[in-house]
Amino acid sequence: MSSQYINEPMLDLFIFESTQLIEQMELLVISNEKSSSYDSDAINEIFRIMHTIKGSSAMMLYNNISGLAHSMEDLFFVLREDKPQDVNYSELSDLVLEGIDFIKLEIAKIRNGDEADGEPSELNKRLKVFHSKIKGQNINVTIGNEVNSQERSTLENQQYYISKVKTNLTASKNIFEATIHFEPDCGMENLRAFSVVNDLQELVEEYYHIPQDLDNEDSASVICEQGFTLLLKTPYSFDEIHKVLVQTFSLKNLQLTQVENSELFNDLQNESHFLLGDSPLKIPAVLGREDLFTNQGEKESLLAAAQQIIISVSVAKLDQLMDLVGEMVIAEAMVTQNPDLKGLELNNFDKAARQLRKITSELQDIVMSVRMVPLAGTFQKMNRTVRDMCKKLNKEVRLQLLGQETEVDKNIIEHISDPLMHLIRNSIDHGIEMPSEREAKGKFRIGTITLEAKNAGGDVLIIIRDDGQGFNKDRILAKAREKGLIQETEDQIKDKEIYNLIFLPGFSTNETVTEFSGRGVGMDVVVKNIEAVGGAITADSVPGKGTTITLKIPLTLAIIDGMNIKVGDSFYTIPTTAIKESFRPKSTDLIVDPDNNEMMMVRGQCFPILRLHRIYQVRTDVTELTEGIIIMVEHDDKTLCIFADELIGQQQVVVKALPDYIRNMKKVRGLAGCTLLGDGSISLILDIEGLMI
Amino acid sequence: MKKLLIVDDAAFMRLSIRNMLQKYDVEIIGEAENGAVGLAMYKELRPDVVTMDITMPEMSGIEALKAIKAFDPQAKVIMVSAMGQEGMVKESIINGAKTFIVKPFKEEFLYQTICKVLGI
Amino acid sequence: MADIVELEAADLTEDTQKGKFLTFCMGSEFYGIEIKYVTEIIGLQPITEIPEMPEYIKGIINLRGKIIPVMDVRLRFRKPYREYNDRTCIVVIEIREVSIGLIVDSVSEVISIPDEEIVAPPNVAKDGNKYIKGIGKVGNDVKLLLDSDKLLNETDLETINDL
Repeated sequence: MSSQYINEPMLDLFIFESTQLIEQMELLVISNEKSSSYDSDAINEIFRIMHTIKGSSAMMLYNNISGLAHSMEDLFFVLREDKPQDVNYSELSDLVLEGIDFIKLEIAKIRNGDEADGEPSELNKRLKVFHSKIKGQNINVTIGNEVNSQERSTLENQQYYISKVKTNLTASKNIFEATIHFEPDCGMENLRAFSVVNDLQELVEEYYHIPQDLDNEDSASVICEQGFTLLLKTPYSFDEIHKVLVQTFSLKNLQLTQVENSELFNDLQNESHFLLGDSPLKIPAVLGREDLFTNQGEKESLLAAAQQIIISVSVAKLDQLMDLVGEMVIAEAMVTQNPDLKGLELNNFDKAARQLRKITSELQDIVMSVRMVPLAGTFQKMNRTVRDMCKKLNKEVRLQLLGQETEVDKNIIEHISDPLMHLIRNSIDHGIEMPSEREAKGKFRIGTITLEAKNAGGDVLIIIRDDGQGFNKDRILAKAREKGLIQETEDQIKDKEIYNLIFLPGFSTNETVTEFSGRGVGMDVVVKNIEAVGGAITADSVPGKGTTITLKIPLTLAIIDGMNIKVGDSFYTIPTTAIKESFRPKSTDLIVDPDNNEMMMVRGQCFPILRLHRIYQVRTDVTELTEGIIIMVEHDDKTLCIFADELIGQQQVVVKALPDYIRNMKKVRGLAGCTLLGDGSISLILDIEGLMI
Repeated sequence: MKKLLIVDDAAFMRLSIRNMLQKYDVEIIGEAENGAVGLAMYKELRPDVVTMDITMPEMSGIEALKAIKAFDPQAKVIMVSAMGQEGMVKESIINGAKTFIVKPFKEEFLYQTICKVLGI
Repeated sequence: MADIVELEAADLTEDTQKGKFLTFCMGSEFYGIEIKYVTEIIGLQPITEIPEMPEYIKGIINLRGKIIPVMDVRLRFRKPYREYNDRTCIVVIEIREVSIGLIVDSVSEVISIPDEEIVAPPNVAKDGNKYIKGIGKVGNDVKLLLDSDKLLNETDLETINDL
């Protein structure tokens, strides 16, 4: 980068802001494409986004991005201003998305510290052709010319531009000729010249200039080379005119001379009669400032809106912050529960300590929540996948997104985006049938893929459901057998088990590879990605009706609502979603069967009791069921009564994995992970499903 | 110190201008992200000079320019434009913008323009 | 809380760490552990027990938000359990990005033992000596040098199968 003022934070900001804008634009394009026309808000918005990116990338000297953004901006300018009819919006979307991809790729290069060396000229050319096409519609002249041909023809006839003459010609005595040279590279020289003319409006009665046409961008280069020459008639003196002209911005050189002979002037005047008093500029009526703000309140709300700023923070810093808060929580406990304080009556201290505890726990909550990001962004990216796939395969698919607001730790989001995309491609490629085929089967012509996220029993479930043809059981079986993945005969293996064979490594082969869903990798890569975050994947299918693939993202890294309970000195956390109810049992409701299995009678139904202290061998004084508490938990229609000493309270907790060292040693039954409680102590998170086995 | 108000919807451009002027005697007294906020801040902060982006949501640079000029005819507004905005640059000159700069611009140029607008 | 010893391990280059050992005692014996593995030494913390673990894995602790397992080195070496007291320390070591806390009776000092003063251990695998990779001589004293890698990564099949 040539300029020393472009430093790191600026580059970061450029990348951050441009990425956001591009993603926003992609969504706009995809959502508008569906309605097969672009609404005016979207056109405005896209125009503005391209304009901003054009400017920012030009400042950073990424001229390829800037140039492409300029082409797209031009396109949307025409859409906005001319509102052309019969635009091929599908083609437009293709072009714009291609442009978006180009910019995305360049930004990715920049982010990686590589040279942004993409060459958009071919795409630029196609954008220009499209530009001419939509422009052409409106003016009915030959296409292929970037500048509005109609405008140009008018301009060519326009010999000299003369302002409205305010005073009587005869009153003017002085005629001056001025030649102005601007600083090189100041840009838009024609408009700088216009600015000079504009400043002189009040002082002169009549003027002519060379080049004549200041609206034409070609004039800029003429002014660059030859300077801008003005001939003016004015009642003011040489000094007064000089004083005004010398204030011209980006002025490099000014020659001002008084002309004695007014013949030149008269000649010019004759030639340009027809233009007098006719300003070619359309200027909208000036808005009074009263119109801008109808009331004070509105203004204030605008100000407030502007002050709500979103910043980006690196995840590493958040991790650090979370650790620090954890440390603070411990320090707080060390102070407020200090053994030195034992037996002391400290009313004020206790009050202050309570306040401190409240603040630290709030702080912890906030820090934990900051890392959570809704899935919406990832989900919406799938719109693009669906669109591209449908276009290539000539299928029609509607993508339905549910539960987008479900929050997942940022780290997880990064791991599930690719698998999701792959699964959706698969659904469209192999699941959803061709429209004609669907109609023949009596289905809706348009297929539906539902992408749903929900919190369930402490897990985050992401479900991809399609209404396509479903899996072909026989083919899966045949293939699995061929690959030596199963030995059982068909009647020994359940349908669901068959479907899940597709996730086995080595199942997908080149045979099933198509341009999209194949890519030489198979489901096993998806599985690997999901397992990398400790998740699981399952498939189910109904022939002819569709397929459902469920990703279960484990508690790890996620925040859950948990109920903390205590057994002896140990703490456990149960995901609130799994809890049906909790109560202190009455001895009359307890049943012990001949095998010494304890059970609990609740409203006429019998449920097994699981004593935590017993299965985890925790020393506790509470062994009488009537002295402790029963927490009824539920999973997949199964119910279990967990027995603990007492309930501690409900709290949002961040789930942490048990250390690898522990996990490698043994998978402990019924433990999903652990979490930190407010006082810094560790609570073990129970895996209800695991406890039921 | 010269007091400058930056009006631009792109955070990147606001930071660019701020960085460029770091070593000069220009104090950025405010940053607004659209014309409407720019106008409100102008009234409140009364800067010596304003850099005004043209294309912005809520209220465009030209609308904001007009409103600022209506409020303070002496207001010194520099339009920040880009190639392709010739028409709007012209419109802003007619509506009282002191001058304009074209993206990309260099820091010396920005600073000189500010000085010149202030008659220094 | 016992005194917290902050080691400025990060400031020490590989070179200056070479031949340096943190020594700690258990019963009457002195052990040494290579300083490059030690990240910090903390006092005894509340330990959360994990069920179904070998006896020497006492559980997990919260080290500034990071959850790490702690191992009682005494029990690992099949020595009798001893009540923890205010001299008991947790030496946090990190090997190949795995952190673990070692519970020891007390830590003493950091010493240098040149290579030539280290001899191979006698081949008596029975009493847990398989985690000793050398014996260092310092004056008249003898320090048993721990093989940290083995300590962490060698799965003690016997103990697990006992569960």
